[in-house]
Amino acid sequence: MARENIILCENLDFIYPNGVQALHNITLAIEPGEYVAFVGQNGSGKTTLVKHFNGLLKPTHGTVRVFGEDTQEKKVSYLSRKVGYVFQNPDDMLFCNSVEEEIAYGPRMIGLGLEEIGAKVERILRELELDNQREIHPFALSLGDRQRLAVACVLSLDPEMFVFDEPTTGQDYFGGKSIMMLIDQLHAKGKTIVIITHDMPLVAEHARRVVVMNRGQIALDGSPEQVFRQTAQLRQLSLRAPQVTLLAQNLGLKDRTILEAASMIRWLAEDYLPAPGVMQGEQA
Amino acid sequence: MQPVSSFSTSPCGKEKMSPLVEFKDVTFSYPRTEQSAIRNISFEISPGEFVALIGPSGAGKSTLCYSFNGSVPQLFNGNMAGSVTVAGRDTCQEEIPILAQHVGLVVQNARTQLFNVSVLQEVGFGCENLGMPRERIRERVQQALSFVGLSGLEEREPTALSGGQQQRLAIACVLAMDPEVLVLDEPTSELDPIGSEQVMGVIARMNRELGKTIFLVTHDMEFVAKYASRVLVLCEGLLIEDGSSEKVFSNSALLERARIRPPQVCEVAQGLRQKGYSLNRIPINMDMAIEMFMGLRHG
Amino acid sequence: MMNYGLKSQHSPLQELDGRSKLISLAVIFSLVLIFSHPLYMAVLLTLVLLVWWIARLPFKLIKDLIQFILMIGIIILVVQIFFYPGTTNLLRISKPVPAIGFSGYITLEGILFGVAMVLRLVVIMVVAPLMVMTTPLPELMLALVKLKVPYRFAFIMTTALSLLPSIQNHAAIIQQAQLCRGITYDAAGKFLTKLRASAALMVPLILGAFRDSQTLDVAMSSRAFGAPVKRTFLLESHFRPVDYLLLAFTLLLLVGGIYLRVLGYGTY
Repeated sequence: MARENIILCENLDFIYPNGVQALHNITLAIEPGEYVAFVGQNGSGKTTLVKHFNGLLKPTHGTVRVFGEDTQEKKVSYLSRKVGYVFQNPDDMLFCNSVEEEIAYGPRMIGLGLEEIGAKVERILRELELDNQREIHPFALSLGDRQRLAVACVLSLDPEMFVFDEPTTGQDYFGGKSIMMLIDQLHAKGKTIVIITHDMPLVAEHARRVVVMNRGQIALDGSPEQVFRQTAQLRQLSLRAPQVTLLAQNLGLKDRTILEAASMIRWLAEDYLPAPGVMQGEQA
Repeated sequence: MQPVSSFSTSPCGKEKMSPLVEFKDVTFSYPRTEQSAIRNISFEISPGEFVALIGPSGAGKSTLCYSFNGSVPQLFNGNMAGSVTVAGRDTCQEEIPILAQHVGLVVQNARTQLFNVSVLQEVGFGCENLGMPRERIRERVQQALSFVGLSGLEEREPTALSGGQQQRLAIACVLAMDPEVLVLDEPTSELDPIGSEQVMGVIARMNRELGKTIFLVTHDMEFVAKYASRVLVLCEGLLIEDGSSEKVFSNSALLERARIRPPQVCEVAQGLRQKGYSLNRIPINMDMAIEMFMGLRHG
Repeated sequence: MMNYGLKSQHSPLQELDGRSKLISLAVIFSLVLIFSHPLYMAVLLTLVLLVWWIARLPFKLIKDLIQFILMIGIIILVVQIFFYPGTTNLLRISKPVPAIGFSGYITLEGILFGVAMVLRLVVIMVVAPLMVMTTPLPELMLALVKLKVPYRFAFIMTTALSLLPSIQNHAAIIQQAQLCRGITYDAAGKFLTKLRASAALMVPLILGAFRDSQTLDVAMSSRAFGAPVKRTFLLESHFRPVDYLLLAFTLLLLVGGIYLRVLGYGTY
């Protein structure tokens, strides 16, 4: 039994009003439960493509289906109940007077009953650890908490798929780690995740599938292991694999791709280097 | 563009020159806030240095940047203790337009400070404000644009440029005033890989070819390891370390306290140490790592 | 975008020095305020539309502008029709209400005055973009400064215009973000919902603009804005014969207008 795709793009072209063609004949499918990262230079079309997934943009030619439905005639507010989109700047999404009100807004808009809204808000406040800030005005929260709140608001519409636009850009290590943990949790609960990012270590350490865009077309599409092995092509696209990946390649590792520090350490200790006791004296 | 003659950098640097930038026990708090943004900051910078400032968000890095050209405290009405001297001038006493000729400050989000109708007007804006003669302004603008790689784009609208181009344009705007020091607040945090490479290339060349002193705030540790000869670590307003990149990235306790993730090769080396390997140094960049690990492998 | 769409075409008005344009603008404004008779307003409006045509600006924009002020225009017209203290009674509406100055009649003068006021508004609304769209901002700035407007003030005025596009961009992003929250802007739904949605747009927009303005302040100072020296302007501007011609014409217009007004024309 074939699993229904969440997203199916067929021969998708997108041309901006000013005539610039941003997407060329894209065909792509995303299945439930996937964890996909879209990468590429600015102008490669990655954000343009992903904005088709919830109807923010509509195809010029070709079709985009969300859960089998053609997006052409559907409103963004309707599709947002299936595909949630978290913008890069959480402030752009927030406008209520308290955290509670903010989370309740979506469910109210779609007409849920008061009791159901209440229960949902409680659950989300707890899940996202915002319950002791429920009365606070959104703009009084720290940036990290505002990000969590933006996710909470999108979560309140119960979508099956989440899109995150540059979740770690402009943040320090801790901020980035915090939001990525949240995203991993959502994935563990069965949500489908799409991330648009420049952050290669993020891609290597979290994503299960990488789609590399270039000039409106898909240049590479595969697991991080497969994609980061294509060093020559990546260099041509002006993208760089994470430092450890390149280091392993430079040290001669050919049959697999190292994606993060931990596996690098393991490989060095178990395969590449002699055991620690064997080496005498200090090396320069 | 000629290096500023008043502070020549001799290659050997054997004589102790007076510092170009001097922070003496600087503390500053914004109006109506109890907690100081920066506390007891003291350090010196010599001409020609490439200094990086790292630390978690909210540590006070932008405030520190603003202190270089007097914006803090003059534009913010807060409380400042201690003194900042740049090129012999006190930043509390001297007018900002004068300080701006010695310190070029490029704020975060360059996009927001581009408001002129053409690239030419944008880069010339600073020199116009200083009342320079027209011909000299045109010269400076050409030189600055050429250096950052934007020659030929004089008539373009700044808002029509790519992110990387806009950032380089913002650098050209202050470079045209030919300051000795350039302070850059997270210039690449919003850029894609190409844009970042271009901007970092310009910054490195300003240091190498023009002898400019660089003070760079960034979250990109690989850049820090690659270009900076010295790293300052700011945490909750306090300067908790001031040393070489190697010293900083080898110090696990420090990194944890400042919530900083060092370049991955450092992580790897630390991990090997924990497994019992004795490494006398922590490599901070790719070349060092390759050399070290190959060396270890072949004894 | 800074020239509001004139990049591709060349408007003859761009040949003129900013100063002569500004002075002409001031004269038109004065004339429109001196007179209060719709006929005189109509003459001024025709003159302005003629200039618009010479400038090769799109007439569609005039239609948009008029639509924009239609609501206000109608209110003005109605108020003047009912409340202007005219003498030629035309139509009895109701009993007089002295408390609010209503005589009970619609008067001829009321109608005329109302029309004149609306026309005055239209002239002002058309002549302003005429200026802005045919003058690149640096020229406008230079003209203001040469006319002895303090630099800081001229700067604030012109820079507000150039920052508008970035605010528009941000507004568009916020709208998109809020669509993803379930807000609908195009709904034929309740008026209150639409109002709430527009208010919701304001908060992040103003917050963003405020934060940006703080960094802008620092950035400007870092570029020596406000240095206590005589500022150089890269741009140069000189009066040409056509400028003198324009100035002579507008001066004539102004003098003529004042003369007529003193003689009692153009009013009631």
